Amino acid sequence: MNIPILSIVTFLPLALAFLILFIPKERSTHIKTIVLTGSILNFLISLVLYFRFDPQTAAPQFVEKWEWLGFGINYHMGIDGISLFLILLTTFLMPIVILSSWRYITKQVKEYHIFMLILTTGIIGVFVSLNLFLFYVFWEAMLIPMYFLIGIWGGGRRIYATVKFVLYTMVGSLLMLVAIFYLYSSYYKATGIFSLNIFDFHQFAIPPNVQIWLFLAFALAFAIKVPMFPFHTWLPDAHVEAPTAGSVVLAAVLLKMGAYGFLRFAMPIFPDALKIFLPYLSVLALIGIIYGGLMALIQKDIKSLVAYSSVSHMGLIMLAMFSLNATAVEGSIYQMLNHGLSTGALFLCVGILYERAHTRLIKDYGGVSKVMPVFSVFFLICMLSSVGLPGLNGFVGEILCVFGVFQTNKVLAILCVSTIILAAAYLLWMFQRVMQGPITNEKVRSFKDLNLREIMIFVPIILLMFFMGIYPKPFLRKMDASVEHLLKKIQPKQVVLEETPLSKLPDDLQIPSQEQENTRVIKDVNQP
Amino acid sequence: MNNILALAPLLIITIGGLFILLLDVFLKKDNKDYLGYISVFFLIGCSFVCFLFWNTNKSYFNGSLILDNFSLFFSLLLIAATFLVILISMKYISLQNSNHGEYYALLLFAFAGILIMLSTTDFIIIFLGLEVLSISSYVLAGLKRNDTKSSEAAVKYFLLGSFASAFIVYGIALLYGAFQSTNILSISSGFSSSPQPGVMAIVGFGFVIIGFGFKIAVVPFHMWTPDVYQGAPTPITAFFSVAPKVVGFAVLLRLLIPYFKSALESEAIFSILWVISALTMVIGNLAALRQTNVKRILAYSSIAHAGYMLVAVLAQDAVSLGYYLTVYLFMNIGAFSAVIALNKKNKEYVELEEYSGIGFKYPWIGVTFSIFLFSLAGFPPTGGFLAKFYVFSTAVRKGLTTLVIIAVLASLISVFYYLRIIIHMYMKEPTLDVSIHTKNPALFLVLFICLVEVIQLGIFPGSILSFIKEALTTMSLF
Repeated sequence: MNIPILSIVTFLPLALAFLILFIPKERSTHIKTIVLTGSILNFLISLVLYFRFDPQTAAPQFVEKWEWLGFGINYHMGIDGISLFLILLTTFLMPIVILSSWRYITKQVKEYHIFMLILTTGIIGVFVSLNLFLFYVFWEAMLIPMYFLIGIWGGGRRIYATVKFVLYTMVGSLLMLVAIFYLYSSYYKATGIFSLNIFDFHQFAIPPNVQIWLFLAFALAFAIKVPMFPFHTWLPDAHVEAPTAGSVVLAAVLLKMGAYGFLRFAMPIFPDALKIFLPYLSVLALIGIIYGGLMALIQKDIKSLVAYSSVSHMGLIMLAMFSLNATAVEGSIYQMLNHGLSTGALFLCVGILYERAHTRLIKDYGGVSKVMPVFSVFFLICMLSSVGLPGLNGFVGEILCVFGVFQTNKVLAILCVSTIILAAAYLLWMFQRVMQGPITNEKVRSFKDLNLREIMIFVPIILLMFFMGIYPKPFLRKMDASVEHLLKKIQPKQVVLEETPLSKLPDDLQIPSQEQENTRVIKDVNQP
Repeated sequence: MNNILALAPLLIITIGGLFILLLDVFLKKDNKDYLGYISVFFLIGCSFVCFLFWNTNKSYFNGSLILDNFSLFFSLLLIAATFLVILISMKYISLQNSNHGEYYALLLFAFAGILIMLSTTDFIIIFLGLEVLSISSYVLAGLKRNDTKSSEAAVKYFLLGSFASAFIVYGIALLYGAFQSTNILSISSGFSSSPQPGVMAIVGFGFVIIGFGFKIAVVPFHMWTPDVYQGAPTPITAFFSVAPKVVGFAVLLRLLIPYFKSALESEAIFSILWVISALTMVIGNLAALRQTNVKRILAYSSIAHAGYMLVAVLAQDAVSLGYYLTVYLFMNIGAFSAVIALNKKNKEYVELEEYSGIGFKYPWIGVTFSIFLFSLAGFPPTGGFLAKFYVFSTAVRKGLTTLVIIAVLASLISVFYYLRIIIHMYMKEPTLDVSIHTKNPALFLVLFICLVEVIQLGIFPGSILSFIKEALTTMSLF
């Protein structure tokens, strides 16, 4: 019998949330213990995905497919080399996040954990869905718990931040919904079959002028989520106001959903439109890199500094992704994981400081390393990982990204290196002002160093940072087949749409029979 | 004899209403709750009879009375609505000092009017039903006799309602002039047989649509809605927000299905409906943004929802409209029940300020209300999302992409005000001391039913959806 392992990983947190509902809220320690155990268990189960994952094939694995609502709406799940690690990242960070909020959350502990668990289900669901309907359900449903997490447990301007977060995300996703409807109906008109299967759309050739609009709708939704340059304004607000755990999840996983959306939907479904918009998107990503970095330099608030560093780093990830070569795309996926770890860890560090001093302003600190030596080592490692010091994970990702960009466009490559320089500048400067120098604030003197629980938060992250920095092979090789497949999918469809007669194609571009199907579909679409 | 049998659903309800009026005289003031149970009993009886007629699809009294699956489906839907409304009324009216026997009798009479409207294709009879429904509604709106707002609602509803009825009558007269018939089917066959229908026919048709536009509360015929919804007793508001709307759409469907079948896309009525739909969605949602009274917010939200339903009408998809109406019924009655749950003796909590901190103080009410609001806003995995998904995806398939873009942007606006209620419930510190009367099992039953349905319709709509399909495709006019 096949065990539906993806469903288990996705819905175990939800089941746990349901269980928690019936535990009286006075027993908060029980609740926390159950949630922590459950999320560790979920991580262990998700590890099975890694070990049983076959790196040779690009086809989706662990596929589960059941009829659900008819009309092409199926319960269809599966993962490939791209989504595998994003799921692992989510399940890996969840226990850490729960542990980090052990003392920080004092009011409404029960509700907090319920929302955390629902959020986990939503995020994993986004990464495993192979049906556009299912994907959209998770994509939107995930907003609700995040909305409450920021809105109830956030800082002073939490309501403003959370409403902004929801509305920004919804603008994009509602337009994407219309685009999904359009895809759905044009697929039906062309083939007579209702389908929302992602891979059907990968095979489905759409006239380029239609692609432009659909691509814009999808790209807007994902660009807001990433966030790319002009759509990033919700991010600093949400990050600053969110509780530590919310910020960690937001930075580490939620932003990756946007990048994942580009890889899974926007790029392979609309290759022609992608070709048109590629230069603009690359420039926007580059602006994001430099603008985010410069903004980070001038922040007075540690959390918004880290938030802007996120904008800058996500810019690099997107730029690499838009370079459309294997090195760059693998680099960008790898960098997504790195960014998840290092930015998540930085937010945890900020959270540790905030729990002690209840301020996020850089000027209120100074000389913290004198009273918290253990913490200062951890903070330093996390920061250097974010800067991209060789030996740590950030280096591998950044070097792959820059190499990849260089293969495609040398000017962009030179400019995008600025992310590393800027990161070094703002992070090291921040570290200097917060951790080193004389103690200016008397409050800092009474800081206690990390206790065992807090050390346990950092140890797994830091071990993984070293591991990923020294030995990236087990990660990268699992992606190879999927990335190669993705890039191939973006290329040949262009050839088909330029309507080169099949006979005139050179041998190495000989199109397999699947693509011949496509040529027919195009003709059908063109003839009303 | 068959003819008399076919009257059974209607007779049960009317007799029930009269019986309750009579019984009211003999019952002591403390025992008036029994009237509610008795009316529920009559409703259940009526639903059994409706099931007996299922799939018979016959007409009686020379075509004046039609019991096809279409009418039975909508009747059953409204039996459910009336049933839920009676359950949420029981405690409410004794707490708010309007515990009169007439209350339940009038509700049953209103429902009888609905039954008449649903089971006919003759305009004169539709009009009769409409008046029975409307006159009962006017009285129901004003039942809180000590409350000026309630009296205002009744008068406003009466004035504007009779104005709309006049439009309908005039429209019917003009249509009769054009086609020498008051039967919907012969009118629509008249439309389809003559390529250029005269001015009289078009104007008559337009008047009828205006009249029904008032009943389903679409812009620009929506002005009465917020005031009436605010003033009427809250369970009656719940009834108003669902029953006239469902009936209005059912009649519109009967009216428009044959018309659309023959109409070109560029025809006047089509484009007018298009504009009305867009305006309804945008204005309904925009106006809700500034409201601070929860009942008014829900009133504007129900206007906006009429706009989404019109999209389904324009897409000529009866099944997705039926689905939308079903979901709407449960989520809207659910939302109003949550509002009703927050009341005590002679006091209702309806201002947004009063909702601060409610979510944690009364967790179950907070959670269910939030789920209804998320469903109204169209978040998955609730029924509200799936209903919108069906309606909008069909509309895009029928080429109404622009309208759908307007619709989704309008629903984006709606997210803001639905979230505002939730913000008050969960994210603000309580400013006022709110205490509620919690002993209200019937109300909690309704909350539970609505909650289960909203979630079921969002995740496993299988059996209900196939029921709707069975009911609405037998019209075989699509």
